[in-house]
Amino acid sequence: MSAEPILSVRDLVVEFRTEHGVVRAVDRVSFDVFPNETVGLVGESGCGKTVTGLAILGLIPSPPGRIASGSIRLAGRELVGLPESELRQLRGRDMAMVFQEPMTALNPVFTVGNQMMDILRRYKGLSRSQARAAAIELLAKVGIPAPAQRIDEYPHQLSGGMRQRVVIAMALSCDPKLIVADEPTTALDVTTQAQVLEQIVRLQQEFRMAMVLVTHDLGVVAETCQRALVMYCGRVAEQADIGPLFAHPRHPYTAGLLRSLPRVGEAEKQDLAVIPGMVPDLLDLPAGCRFAERCPRRDARCDGELPDLDGDAASPARVACFHPL
Amino acid sequence: MEVLQYSLRRLVAGIPLLLGVTFISFLLMVYFGPDQTYQLLGKNPTAEQIAEIRAELGYDQPFLVRYADYLREVATLDFGNSNSTGELVTDLLARTIPVSLMLILPGFLLGNLLALLLALLAAHYRSRWPDKGIMAFSVVGMSISYLIVIIAFQVIFSSSSGLGWFPVRGWNVHSLAEYLEYVTVPTLATVFVALGYNTRFYRSVIVEELNRDHVRTARAFGVPPAKLLYRNVLKNCLIPIITRVVFTIPLIVISGALLVETYFGIPGVGKVTFDAITTGDQPVLKAVVGLTAVLFVLAQLVVDVLYRAVDPRVSLS
Ligand SMILES: Nc1ncnc2c1ncn2[C@@H]1O[C@H](COP(=O)(O)OP(=O)(O)O)[C@@H](O)[C@H]1O
Ligand code: SF4
Ligand SMILES: [Mg+2]
Repeated sequence: MSAEPILSVRDLVVEFRTEHGVVRAVDRVSFDVFPNETVGLVGESGCGKTVTGLAILGLIPSPPGRIASGSIRLAGRELVGLPESELRQLRGRDMAMVFQEPMTALNPVFTVGNQMMDILRRYKGLSRSQARAAAIELLAKVGIPAPAQRIDEYPHQLSGGMRQRVVIAMALSCDPKLIVADEPTTALDVTTQAQVLEQIVRLQQEFRMAMVLVTHDLGVVAETCQRALVMYCGRVAEQADIGPLFAHPRHPYTAGLLRSLPRVGEAEKQDLAVIPGMVPDLLDLPAGCRFAERCPRRDARCDGELPDLDGDAASPARVACFHPL
Repeated sequence: MEVLQYSLRRLVAGIPLLLGVTFISFLLMVYFGPDQTYQLLGKNPTAEQIAEIRAELGYDQPFLVRYADYLREVATLDFGNSNSTGELVTDLLARTIPVSLMLILPGFLLGNLLALLLALLAAHYRSRWPDKGIMAFSVVGMSISYLIVIIAFQVIFSSSSGLGWFPVRGWNVHSLAEYLEYVTVPTLATVFVALGYNTRFYRSVIVEELNRDHVRTARAFGVPPAKLLYRNVLKNCLIPIITRVVFTIPLIVISGALLVETYFGIPGVGKVTFDAITTGDQPVLKAVVGLTAVLFVLAQLVVDVLYRAVDPRVSLS
């Protein structure tokens, strides 16, 4: 990759204090996102994807959570340890987030336009009428028909897909350097999912933004990302460019996930291999590899030692496994 | 226009409710409530004397006839004369309700506004020391009996052994200055007691709203914390707030604040209601019960229209 990364995460550790002890939801995660690039964060539910995304924006609820260590740099500027007031100024302007739940992500008692214009006026210093015009233009860009009418509607008058487009429009409104999209299409029906995803890809290219796309769906990764990190239990299991990742997965977990992915042409859901076993409890982790319980390649070393990613941050592909494929 | 149509429809729809409430309360009053028969009779009355008095008071009529009479009275706002004082009931209420309102409203408004401010502050600093302080203060306020507060405030502010700034009792109001003189201590007591309950309630409503997804979205787009409270959260919280405030109003109008009126010797409607219950003054009781029902139906209507004003998801059809 050329140029400097827009986002550079190093050894990020996020912990939550719970009744039963401290949960390490994100454990030494590192990755870069370069300009005009979409990086996927994939993994089963609970593996720390959302928490990683929230940490980037400085939105970890505290208490109970905190960034225990590590570094997050946005265009070279260190965000960890930045005072909340300065971090706040970056949110919505230099970095934005699209959330998983479009039905509840918008405020029900204000119109779509009102919520969009608030951001435009705050960051771009636009007048009311300028902000309105800009908001209508953004709504058109994200594929909302009749934006001049839609802008005065309340969220409940819009479908889930339309609401998600509104949030995407809000995220785009200040030309952020980075967008974190947390399962932006998961809550939508299949047809809408495809449309919104397509729109996201198009906008990412048009705005030439850097994007972190969080998803549990490798199919989504294949369609949108240039690179992906496969996460398991708060750690990165494997990271690689999409081509090699899908063609030659090296981590047994990635291979398992790929086997459970339906392929075009294959009969629906037939012979879909599901990885046997359960994800370990974050409060009761094994001493060795966290995937050992479910891994076909496990041996004695895996039970005693925790594998780290090989290579370094500059490596094009990295895997955390003693016996990669 | 839409609101007007809706209001009319709701008023019509309120009639069965009104009938139900008045019927039940009238039933309870006639069969279980106090009446004046024995108050008006001498010692050891004969059966004829009792019957005579009951006929005079109209107690001998069949229930349904009496209920129909009662409905007519509610509709025309003509409840006859008080059994105890002979004063026209409507005059009695017109004289005492304004006194009660003037007495209670400042405390009611202040108690809610201050509570809302404290609740916003507590919610903003939730789980940190300003929150803990405010909540501790609320619990203290809630745990001290109203009576103790009234007496303590009288001693502190009004008695000669305390500051002696205000009159201890009475209601001799002809000017703003006099009004302030008489209303201050009851207001302080009311606010002190209401503040605890209200603050707790408002805080829980606001904190619940702060935990919603749309607040996280707002934060993700850099909305500053103070603005988050007054713009992104307050309007969403208005529904439970409006409900609480509006439905308290009929209670104030009718019962006034019996305790405050009694302890400060203020001739409000609370005192009138209390006396009517103890003496079995049915004309007054009927008026109070009817008025309560009407006010609740109206409050329901006001609340519904206000809901629509604050929450676009509520439709008026
Ligand atoms: N507010 C919280 N309090 C306590 N633990 C949390 C909280 N948020 C997340 N976690 C922990 O972090 C883990 C990862 O969560 P998350 O990042 O949301 O998973 P996902 O990969 O499905 O997005 C969860 O399994 C949970 O244990
Ligand atoms: S380290 Fe061992 S247990 Fe873990 S994924 Fe690799 S082979 Fe499997
Ligand atoms: Mg998630």
